[in-house]
Amino acid sequence: MPTLSFVERFADALAGRLLSWLQGRVAPGSREWLDALSAEAECADDGWQRLRWALGGVSLVWTLNERRHEHEPTRSTMRARFVSGIANIAAIAGWYAVIIPATYAATYFLRCHLSFGYQPGGCQEHPFVFGSIAICGGALGIITALALRARFAAYWWAVVSVCNTMGAVWYLRSGIADLPRYGATQSSMLMAATVGVVLAAVMLETPGTETARAPVHHVGDGAGAPASSLSRHRITAQVTAGAISFAMVDSLIRMRDRHLVADDVNHYAILACAMFAAVLAGLIGRHGSPLSTKGNIG
Amino acid sequence: MPRLPNTSPQTLRVLELLLESPRAWHYGYALSQLTGLKSGTLYPILMRLADQGWLETRWAEPEQPGRPPRHTYRLTGEGAKRARTKLAEVAPSRMTRRLVPVPGSR
Repeated sequence: MPTLSFVERFADALAGRLLSWLQGRVAPGSREWLDALSAEAECADDGWQRLRWALGGVSLVWTLNERRHEHEPTRSTMRARFVSGIANIAAIAGWYAVIIPATYAATYFLRCHLSFGYQPGGCQEHPFVFGSIAICGGALGIITALALRARFAAYWWAVVSVCNTMGAVWYLRSGIADLPRYGATQSSMLMAATVGVVLAAVMLETPGTETARAPVHHVGDGAGAPASSLSRHRITAQVTAGAISFAMVDSLIRMRDRHLVADDVNHYAILACAMFAAVLAGLIGRHGSPLSTKGNIG
Repeated sequence: MPRLPNTSPQTLRVLELLLESPRAWHYGYALSQLTGLKSGTLYPILMRLADQGWLETRWAEPEQPGRPPRHTYRLTGEGAKRARTKLAEVAPSRMTRRLVPVPGSR
């Protein structure tokens, strides 16, 4: 039997852990396919291959859970939506609960100065602090979201972490020690993330594309009628909830020391406008959809 | 333009492979190796095909003691018929795509 290196043994153990963790993430009635995938993991030649194989289980579990929600009757679906909404908010809130103490801890350990003042641009942090917190925070957000099966929150933080990573790399490359106009940068990243999430949701919800589940037909739909876009608006509402919570936490931190100044007011005004537009779009879409009146939102 | 069900290149690759020996049972890992699809792509495809009645599944006894039973797959009679039709339908467009000349190759 070939000797496995430490790294391979580690990957092997990780694959085993991942598969047993995934077992707990699916309903007992839907485990057949995950059991099938787990059994095949034994055929992999080494630890890395097994880990790669096991990672596919995440996607499979996702699909299984999506299908289970699809097949639930309306009342359960409404409950599932409520639970999913709470999970999304919890995932986002959990991320903030991590990132804020982490920011202070990092500035303490890295002996950096964290100030919330009116130096040009406002809040200034060391790029390493900003970069590490943003990237680790984004990753933590994704993990939290996946653990809570909060798909939206996972997308959200995936996009946020990509934007933050790009921002951090740009700052590090430019050699700027302080982060001027941090607030504005943060806002633009947030906007980029929001747009990214909405776009991803819109693309996923495009009717007629082949998905892992059978095509969904609603009562009252004609042949080839587009599927309900309400889920898209639901996601928009969740984006809004996330943006509001972000703005609230951010403004609370800023207001701890002093009042908001013109710059901050402007950036929150822009944020608020975007939020209102999103809510409005959601409401218009909801009332404009013929499916919403039939009570079979889907 | 909306895509029809079971016409994604990945699904077609799986169908093509299963059609090579339609009455034989196939293992998921072998299918993944032969099609080059990752497990996260392959299993949702197999699951969907099974749901639609194109595929039948069976738990097979493990070849080595101590290992878990393995899930195996093969096309149903109806599935094989539909798969052949589907592959025949998409073959011209796939061929056209393949025949597009590489820029600068002339």
